Amino acid sequence: MLILAYSLSIFLMIALPLALAVALRRVSRPVWLLFSVGSLTFILSQAVHLPVNDWLADIGFLPKGSVGELPLWRTAITLGLTAGLCEELARTAGYALIQWLKPLWMRMQDSLMLGLGHGGIESMIFGGVLTAAGFSSLLSMREVDLNTLSLNPEQLAALKLQLELFTASPLNAILPLIERLLALSIQLVFSLLIWRAFARGRLSRDWYYIPLAILYHAAVDAGAVWTAQNSSSNYALRMLILALSLLPGWAWGFWLVRREWEPRATLQGKLERQIEDSSIWAELSVFWVALIKELRQLWRTRRLLVMGAVFLVFGMGSPLIAKFTPLALSSIEGIEMFAELIPEPTAGDAMGQYIKNLSQFGFILAVLMAMGVVVGEKERGVAAMIISKPMPRWAFVSSKLAAQAVMYLVGFLLAGAGAYYYTLFLFEPLAFGDYALLNGLMFLWLIVFVALSVLGSTLAGSTVGAGGIGLGLSVALLLAGALPGFGALLPGGLMGWASQLGQRAAGVAASLPGSASVSGEVMANGGAAASALVIILMSLVLAIGIFEQQEL
Amino acid sequence: MNASQSGMPLEISEAGPETAAIYCHGLSKHYGDIQALDGLTLSVPYGSIFGFLGRNGAGKTTTMRLLAGLALPTAGKAWVAGMETTSAKRQARLRFGYLPQDPAFYKWMSAREYLDYVGQIQGLGRTDRESQIDRLLALSDLQEAAMRRIGGFSGGMLQRLGIAQALMGDPPVLLLDEPTSSLDPAGRYEVLDMISQLRGRVTVFLSSHILTDIERVCDTVAILHKGRLVLVSGKDELLEQHPVNAVELEFEPINGGSDNETLAKFSAALQEKPWVASVKRENARLRVMVQDVSRGKQELLPLVMAHDLSLNRYEWVRPSLEDIFLQLST
Repeated sequence: MLILAYSLSIFLMIALPLALAVALRRVSRPVWLLFSVGSLTFILSQAVHLPVNDWLADIGFLPKGSVGELPLWRTAITLGLTAGLCEELARTAGYALIQWLKPLWMRMQDSLMLGLGHGGIESMIFGGVLTAAGFSSLLSMREVDLNTLSLNPEQLAALKLQLELFTASPLNAILPLIERLLALSIQLVFSLLIWRAFARGRLSRDWYYIPLAILYHAAVDAGAVWTAQNSSSNYALRMLILALSLLPGWAWGFWLVRREWEPRATLQGKLERQIEDSSIWAELSVFWVALIKELRQLWRTRRLLVMGAVFLVFGMGSPLIAKFTPLALSSIEGIEMFAELIPEPTAGDAMGQYIKNLSQFGFILAVLMAMGVVVGEKERGVAAMIISKPMPRWAFVSSKLAAQAVMYLVGFLLAGAGAYYYTLFLFEPLAFGDYALLNGLMFLWLIVFVALSVLGSTLAGSTVGAGGIGLGLSVALLLAGALPGFGALLPGGLMGWASQLGQRAAGVAASLPGSASVSGEVMANGGAAASALVIILMSLVLAIGIFEQQEL
Repeated sequence: MNASQSGMPLEISEAGPETAAIYCHGLSKHYGDIQALDGLTLSVPYGSIFGFLGRNGAGKTTTMRLLAGLALPTAGKAWVAGMETTSAKRQARLRFGYLPQDPAFYKWMSAREYLDYVGQIQGLGRTDRESQIDRLLALSDLQEAAMRRIGGFSGGMLQRLGIAQALMGDPPVLLLDEPTSSLDPAGRYEVLDMISQLRGRVTVFLSSHILTDIERVCDTVAILHKGRLVLVSGKDELLEQHPVNAVELEFEPINGGSDNETLAKFSAALQEKPWVASVKRENARLRVMVQDVSRGKQELLPLVMAHDLSLNRYEWVRPSLEDIFLQLST
């Protein structure tokens, strides 16, 4: 129940901003690209914000370890101001860019889409990913004696408090979700404040809305820091105080939205609205039609067959390689003496081989198979034929990613079944639950690269270019996984988790060299799973946003 | 050149978005410094087969793509069957069928499967799809090839399938971009025949630079030149409005009485005359556009006699659409 509640909460923190964006689009059709621009302004703001906070800590203006090192009022105001300055100035830069490049995208509804993008990615990262990371860590630590961990007393107390809160009730899973929703709502207000500075085209007169947004953002954040320290155990009280600090912003935002909303005054507008309102299911049915067509294409062009065969071969081959490689080596003339040095192969070796094979070849296949899905149809002119029909552009792009996902799902089912059978036949039975989860994690990991390749395929003007972009983005993501600090929270972390599961499924103690395991327990990496989901969704949103603006 | 410069009739109907099959207002498209389309305001009446003429690069395909919602206008708007198509609304795309210049299909599908896919995108039920597909395969003469892979189709078959897919869902307007430009004479005949069969059932907006095709099937004509509309008129009215200022001369066939060199000299001599606008020669036949008809009637036959040519036919005629087009687009 606890796992279900937190999983649902994490999923909503990731999916709700997108659902709100979908709802906003149905009402007033802001472009998807604005969601991505909003997300980018948040990411860029954090690229400055986090180093600035580190620097302030280095020079002693912010506490480096315990919060109690410095007066709380000073810490709260400093943290609030750095957040307000970095985020609102990044947002201002975003608006300036839009006003310069696309002045038609400066409607009030567009500012809400920007706010959803900015607050949405914040909710996904600071809500979904970090909650998932914390949740999975706490889940792993439930059975661990915390006193055996090398933590200072303050850290130990905080961890115990978190564990108590976490295990007290599944209902507590709703608290981080509420916090993120509050934060998302105020991001919309901040976005409206900056928009107000630009909206009338008289920035020289209305500039004061920018410092107002910075100061309000600083005040809200400072208040949140203050209450977090003074009522850290009372989450509900913290939420209440936060909500009270947001009330003036909500009131102003509500008043502005009511005043500025562009009504559809004409009869034709009303009629169109009726058609649009009733068409969400029609659009979903077109997505389904497009998905079925994509799957038929994969079948009829033999790609599904080839992919299935490749996965099946690598799945079946992994236990075989693990079993027979030592035998093959020992039969080679001249190196027989080393045969005794090779340990007796185990089911754990089969699992290691399985993960290695599918990750390496799966990665290459993911990029190769997805790189032409959009650009190929653009180049041939098929996309223009289809998009001139009532095919929503989102459905066109999404159906291709979904079909690729189905193809890899089939691949993993075949590979998984083959590897399971031969491991059973050559070694011993695998723990099915761990083995199934392992395959699920590898599938999720692979879909990240498929999504990046689909994004590359949408961005590029040729299939070769698409392959380059897809491969470049994928390699960059893999390299980012090696970065200290947050690297483990990237999708690469899924492979470490999968490796531990593989060992445990094979009956080997899950303590891989260098892995984050505690007392032999598998250390779940929910953060990596959530970040994989975020990257897949954001790649898709960006691909749709770009495709919407492309001329065919 | 614009309409006022050309001195030719520019008839822009008073019809608006609600009453015209196609209505464009101030439609413009720039690609950097290049102005592909410049403030096109045009109204296409329901039921017409509307020829959209222009040289290569005049802006015809740009107009088509803007109407089909595949490109975004720099300025202006366009409506098809009363719904704005330049706003990228999904519903607007039920109001027209579009055939690009080089139609492309999923080659692994059969013609029947492709039409079925289009019908599914449009939200048609199975029964409606089946009946429409049967009717359109018959109209496009593709019944026998219905289950064959599209990858093996000829150019003419692809164009006919292209028109068939554009007709799926019975849209009130068809946008056909150069439907015959890449076809051999037989293929052109088949496609033009198919378009002729649509007369009165659907509004056809047909772009082409092949004037004989336009003259053959269209009842209304617009001429686009360097992104600007220079003429809109009914085809018959247009031809009637142009006075009889062309003369056709047919001589004894070459090597059967006339020699090539003498004809070439005669043609060159004609072109030097101030009352001659243009001379077009095809074997032993000359078509002469005349600026001053009375001088032409006085001086032409003496010039023929001076070159000692044997004349089989001498006839004053109205200019063809091609003559008018060349006159307006140079």
